[in-house]
Amino acid sequence: MQYMLLIYEPEDIYEGPAGEALLVDVVAKYTALSEEMAANGVLRGGDGLQPSATTVKTLVGGGQSLHDGPFAETREHLGGYFIIDVPDLDAALAYARRVPVAEGGMVEVRPIAIY
Amino acid sequence: MTDAGQAIAAARSQVVAALAARLRDLDQAEEAFAEACAAAIPAWRRDPPRDPAAWLWRAALRNAFDAKRRLAVRTRAVHDERPPAPTPEDELLAADAPIPDERMRLIFVCCHPAVGPEARAALTLKVVCGLSTERLARAFLVAEPAMLQRITRAKRKIRDAGVSFEVPARDAWNERLEAVLATLEIAYAQAYQDAGLTEDAAPFAEEVLRLSGQLAELMPREPEVLGLAALVRYAEARRPARLDEGGAMIPPSLQDVLLWRADLIAEGVRLLDNAARHGEPGPRQLMAAIHGAHLSRRETGVTPWADIVSLYDGLMHFRPDPVTAVNRAVAVGEARGMREGLAALEAVPGGGRLAAWLPYQAARAALCEGAGLAADAASAYRAALSLKPAPAERLYLERRLAGLALSR
Repeated sequence: MQYMLLIYEPEDIYEGPAGEALLVDVVAKYTALSEEMAANGVLRGGDGLQPSATTVKTLVGGGQSLHDGPFAETREHLGGYFIIDVPDLDAALAYARRVPVAEGGMVEVRPIAIY
Repeated sequence: MTDAGQAIAAARSQVVAALAARLRDLDQAEEAFAEACAAAIPAWRRDPPRDPAAWLWRAALRNAFDAKRRLAVRTRAVHDERPPAPTPEDELLAADAPIPDERMRLIFVCCHPAVGPEARAALTLKVVCGLSTERLARAFLVAEPAMLQRITRAKRKIRDAGVSFEVPARDAWNERLEAVLATLEIAYAQAYQDAGLTEDAAPFAEEVLRLSGQLAELMPREPEVLGLAALVRYAEARRPARLDEGGAMIPPSLQDVLLWRADLIAEGVRLLDNAARHGEPGPRQLMAAIHGAHLSRRETGVTPWADIVSLYDGLMHFRPDPVTAVNRAVAVGEARGMREGLAALEAVPGGGRLAAWLPYQAARAALCEGAGLAADAASAYRAALSLKPAPAERLYLERRLAGLALSR
C-alpha cells in the first residue's frame, strides 16, 4: 500500500544562526532517511517545500480567486512529504516515527486512494 | 436457544477471527459468517454436521470467495467463468486443515491506535466476542445508531488505512499492548458492574476470562498481562457470592467465602506470583492484589484492610483518579475508623461533579452510616438511589436506607 507522510513543522525554528545550524543537521538526517527508504525499495517520492511565505493559492467559492499566502492562523506548515510503498499501516508508522521532525511538529500518515 | 443456535454461538469467535485474518476485512468476514449461519439452519436440519465450526468456516469462506469473484467480474467486465481449477481457494476449501485460531491477531487489529480509544472496546466486543450493537449501545450509554456508526467507521478505517492483521513485532508491543489491556479492562468492567450476570453480561465475562488467559499464555513475560488475567480471575471467583437470595448485592467483606471459586483463585494466585517475579508493579497487578487481599479472608477469617489501604496507595501512584481515591477512602474507613475515611473522601478532588457520581454517594453513605451520622447517611443513600444503580445495587442501597430508618 502507498502512504503519504505529510510533515508539518513550525517554520520559525529555522530562523537565525541557531536555526541555520539546525537546518544543516536536519537536512543530513532527511538525506540519510530517504537513502535508507530508497535502499529498502519503499521510496516512491518526496521533497521538501519552500517556506509557506512562497505560497500562492487558488480558492474556490463564488468563482475562483488567488491569494498570496497561507492561512495565518496555523503555526505549523506543510514543510515536505514522502510517498512510500509498504505492506501495511504499521510499517508506514514505523517510517513516520523516524522522520526527523522538529519539536512541535507532526507527521500525518495518509493512505493513498486508488481510483 | 436451539442446538443450532448454540453451536453457532460457540463457533462464532473462532470462525469470524479466522475469516477476518484470511480476508483482511472485518465487514466481509462478518457478512460471510452471517450468510453461512443463514444457510446452516435448514442444512443442519436435514444433515447435522459432525463439526459445526468447520462447516461454518468452509461455508463462509466459499461465500467470501464467491463474493470476491462476483466483484471481480463486475469491475473488470470479464465473463463469469471460474478460473481453471484448482485455485488456491479450492485447495483451502478441500483441505481438511483445522480452523486457524486468529483471535489474538484480531484483538490487536481492533485495538490498533488508528482506531479511536472510544471505539476500540466496542469494536473488540462486537467483532471478537460477537456482542450485538444493541447490547453494546446499552453498555456504553449511547444510542444504537451512534454505536453502529462508531463501529462502522472503525471497521472502514481499519480496512482503508491498511491496518496490518498481524500480532505486532516485539519492539512495538509497549504501545499496542497497553491499548489491548485497556480495552479488555473496559470490556470486563461491563461484566463486573452486573453482579448478577443478568441479561447478557455473561458473554462479556466469559470472553474476557478467555482472552486475558490467552494473552497471558502468549506473553508470559509481561507482568501487566499476567496481572490483568489474575484480576479477572479473582473478580470472577467471587461472582457466585455477590448476590443474596433476594438478588441484592453483597460487599466482598460480607460474602460467604465458601461460595468463592477455588479453581479461579488458584489460577489467579499462580498468575500474580509469576507477575511479581518481574519486580515491575503496575496498575493491573495492584488491582489484582487488592482483590487477592479480599480473597485472603477465606484462609484468615478477616479482611486485611490496612494492607488494602497500602495497595490503594500504590495504585494512586499509577492512577491518581477519583475512582481510585474513592475506593481508597472506603478502605481507610475500615482500617482506621469511619471519620478518617470520611476525611479521605472529602479530600478527593473533583468538586461538584462527584455529587452526581454513584460510587461517590454510595461510599459517602457507607462511611456516614459507620460514623453514626444517620441523617447524612440517609441523604447520601437517597442521592445514590437517584443515580440509576444496577438492580442488585439498588436493592442493596434500598435495604441499607431502610435499616437506617429502623435503627433510629
